[in-house]
Amino acid sequence: MASVTLENVSRMYGAITAVDNVNLKIKSGEFVTLLGPSGCGKTTTLRMVAGLEKNTGGRIAIGDNVVSDSDKGYFVPSERRRLGMVFQSYAIWPHMTVFDNVAYPLRIRRRPDTEVRDRVMNALRLVEMEQYAERPSPALSGGQQQRVAIARALVFEPEVLLLDEPLSNLDARLRTQMGDDFRALQQRLKITALYVTHDQAEAMALSDRVVVMHGGKILQVGAPEEIYRRPENRQVAAFFGTPNLLNATVKDCRPNGGQYYKLSVEGQGWSGDCHAATEMPKGADVTVMVRPENLHVRDAGQVNGDLSWSGEVSQAIFRGSHRSIMVKTPAQTLHVEASSLSNVDIGRPVTVAAPVEAAWAVRN
Amino acid sequence: MTIIHNRPLDDIAETAPTIAGNAFTRAFSGGSLWRLIGMLVLILILGFLTIYPLAMLLYGSLHSTPPGMAGEFNLNGYRSIMTTQNLIVLANTVGISLAKTIPSLTIAVFLAWIVARTDTPFRGTLEVLITLPFFIPPILTAMAWGMLANPQVGVINMVWRWLTGGTDSLVNIYSYGGVIWHMCQYSIPFLFLFMVDAFRAMDPSLEESSRMCGASRWTTFRKITLLLMLPVLTSSFMLSFIKGIETFESALFFGLPAGIKVITTDIYESINHRATPDYQYATSLSFAIMGLMFLLVIWQWWMLRGKSFQTVTGKGFRPSVMELGPWRWVTFAFCVLFFFITVVLPIGQLMLGSFFRFFGFYTYDMLTLEHYRNVFANSEFWRAVRNTMVLGLLGATATMALGAVVAYISVRTRWRGRNLIDSMAWLPWMMPGMVLGVGFLWAFAMLPGPIPIYGTIWALLLAYIALGTPVSVRVMTGAYHQLSYDLEECSRVHGATWVQTMWRIMVALAWPAFAVGWVLTFFGIMRELSASILLYSVGSETLAVVLMKLWANGNAEQVSVIGLMMMLLVIVFRWVQLSFIKARISKL
Repeated sequence: MASVTLENVSRMYGAITAVDNVNLKIKSGEFVTLLGPSGCGKTTTLRMVAGLEKNTGGRIAIGDNVVSDSDKGYFVPSERRRLGMVFQSYAIWPHMTVFDNVAYPLRIRRRPDTEVRDRVMNALRLVEMEQYAERPSPALSGGQQQRVAIARALVFEPEVLLLDEPLSNLDARLRTQMGDDFRALQQRLKITALYVTHDQAEAMALSDRVVVMHGGKILQVGAPEEIYRRPENRQVAAFFGTPNLLNATVKDCRPNGGQYYKLSVEGQGWSGDCHAATEMPKGADVTVMVRPENLHVRDAGQVNGDLSWSGEVSQAIFRGSHRSIMVKTPAQTLHVEASSLSNVDIGRPVTVAAPVEAAWAVRN
Repeated sequence: MTIIHNRPLDDIAETAPTIAGNAFTRAFSGGSLWRLIGMLVLILILGFLTIYPLAMLLYGSLHSTPPGMAGEFNLNGYRSIMTTQNLIVLANTVGISLAKTIPSLTIAVFLAWIVARTDTPFRGTLEVLITLPFFIPPILTAMAWGMLANPQVGVINMVWRWLTGGTDSLVNIYSYGGVIWHMCQYSIPFLFLFMVDAFRAMDPSLEESSRMCGASRWTTFRKITLLLMLPVLTSSFMLSFIKGIETFESALFFGLPAGIKVITTDIYESINHRATPDYQYATSLSFAIMGLMFLLVIWQWWMLRGKSFQTVTGKGFRPSVMELGPWRWVTFAFCVLFFFITVVLPIGQLMLGSFFRFFGFYTYDMLTLEHYRNVFANSEFWRAVRNTMVLGLLGATATMALGAVVAYISVRTRWRGRNLIDSMAWLPWMMPGMVLGVGFLWAFAMLPGPIPIYGTIWALLLAYIALGTPVSVRVMTGAYHQLSYDLEECSRVHGATWVQTMWRIMVALAWPAFAVGWVLTFFGIMRELSASILLYSVGSETLAVVLMKLWANGNAEQVSVIGLMMMLLVIVFRWVQLSFIKARISKL
């Protein structure tokens, strides 16, 4: 397994910049996900690593070998990069059986038949598809096709495994299960994997590190929890779920002993403490992010958190696993995810509270 | 067959520029010299097949004498076609084509609706039967109908006289009506084939929602079904109209004897039926008809611009089938009647004609196998069989190979010049076989001495390839469009080179379409008369030409024998195509 390095990688389509100066180092055996909305350049980035697109700027290296260097006009075609790839459509060749599909990378490399047989069956066993080896591939369900695609991508023990939204064509239940299975497999085989998705839940559940992209640029790289809890800016914060983003002004800023700084902030009709990554001057405008699931609804006047807002319930929706409660406060309407057991009446005055760890401030 | 993997729209938007940078564009990034040479060779081939005859046509129309003779450049040719008589010819051409298109379209829509949207019994079989006339060379049905509806000795008129006891005849095929009638037989199955999938693929929820809004079945048909079908109907109409102007056989067989001239027969006559062939007149007229076709094609393009044919949503659904109750036997009978008139009657006539000593005298003592013996003993017949087979096999293979390459380059790559080769391959679409024939006649005559193509079988082969290329490119374009790029790219990423990918993935997946196109082209070559009749010479006759000669000599009996053989061949080929190729495709 090899690392992947992208240095100042760009891709222009005429005057349009699809990928803009991306720098990324994927360690050997690491699972990195490129996450972002449609058109953010994540698929183009993946395809440049695959050699299906040529980067118009920068350098790409797989392991110690440079595979593309636009300045020197050096480009290794896809087939010589020793990669495995799972396509969004799976790209299972309909004129071949499951076995033939998986055997393809080996047969292309003229491996002896016995070796082909062993390795294909091993790969199929990994994805629990060995009993389907002789099936014609169009006779497979979506989930089975996906397993075959993974087996085919792994059979040659590639340097890096590339995955382009492999789960997006599956239904919700299967998606979660396949995702978990795949993560377990990846950790067992210690494969370097580069994964593209627009599904934040998927990205968080699978990856060692998540790369959030927008408009061809990387916004933030970090472990899923890091990115979810401590986004670097408002865009990243807004990308995951539907957080409450409140405008506030810094009153005080001090180190909290650890990596972060503790801020005292004041907003419209509320004030309290929160954390931030960098030191901020007094009077700076910040955005405070509080996730709905970290907010609690209390009876009016009852304050036992570090941050609190008073307001009245404007809407309550039962969603099965939880209850979405909208609380109208002087600052703005806050979205609270409360336990589905607790019911609140609309119009009731309440206090919404959050612990200091749950509030994260970013510079505007 | 699930070759199309539908990507969600947003992802297509994201990867759309990908097509620009498709892996194959870079296949030769190291060897762009080879790519350049390949493209040049392709452009030369296509240029020879399309541009060169066109240029020679222009030369011929402006030059006073045939190639190789001293002459001068003048506009006499164009002057000579500007006559009132030719205005009538033009009016005939357009009028006949319109007159056959309208009833053909009506009947074809009705048939398509029966097969695709009603519960008429045996629809699958009926579909095969209805489309069969399309594959029968029109020259055969023309000859059969010439015998069936001959005003004096035609079977129909004989039966009519026997029934009524009178002496007058019911039908006369040698008339405007006869020409139109014969064209319809070919147009209806053609239009049916063109439209039936649109009918079948229409999303029934579009109609159902109209019914839910309170519209009656009839209102729904008028306001929803018909309007949704309008783009398909318009393009069918235009296509059929254009084909009608190109048609040669019907007007040759039934028009000329009655003095009804259309442009194609006029060109033919000016070369073959005059004391001295008037080549300048013929080439000028050819150029004029090309101009007319060009205008029509532009009109067609203009009418269809921006119109969406997207009644097909790609989702799996069963088209809603209308339950007709007892009426379903009426629709069934209608389809059977169509098959009976267009296939059974002509074949029956050919059989009848082949077993009796003289055409028109059907009595017991006239029964004979003499014509079969004569035909089988005729070396010219066997030579023609061999020529037709060789031309069919070679021509279909070469045409499809050329079409496959052109379509691949224009659909799947971004190579410079791909639009050029695409347009060049499309050019013969505007040239009726007759016009292309005249063009090649000149083109071969102008070739330098050491290349003796003129008068050989290769002359026909080249003309057939040129004529078939637009269709072959179409068929292969459709096939490539159905294969997602992922299938190719996936192969590249997993270690296959461009050549390996082409062979193992693209060829392997596109070959059913190739085979379908091959059979279509083969039929096209077997059917071809208008270019062959100008380009053949002794030794390179095709079956159609031999038939034509026998017919001109009044040998209707031997015509029947050969016609029957060809019919048999058509049916066998069609059967192989349907059972073998369809089975292969469904396995995919």
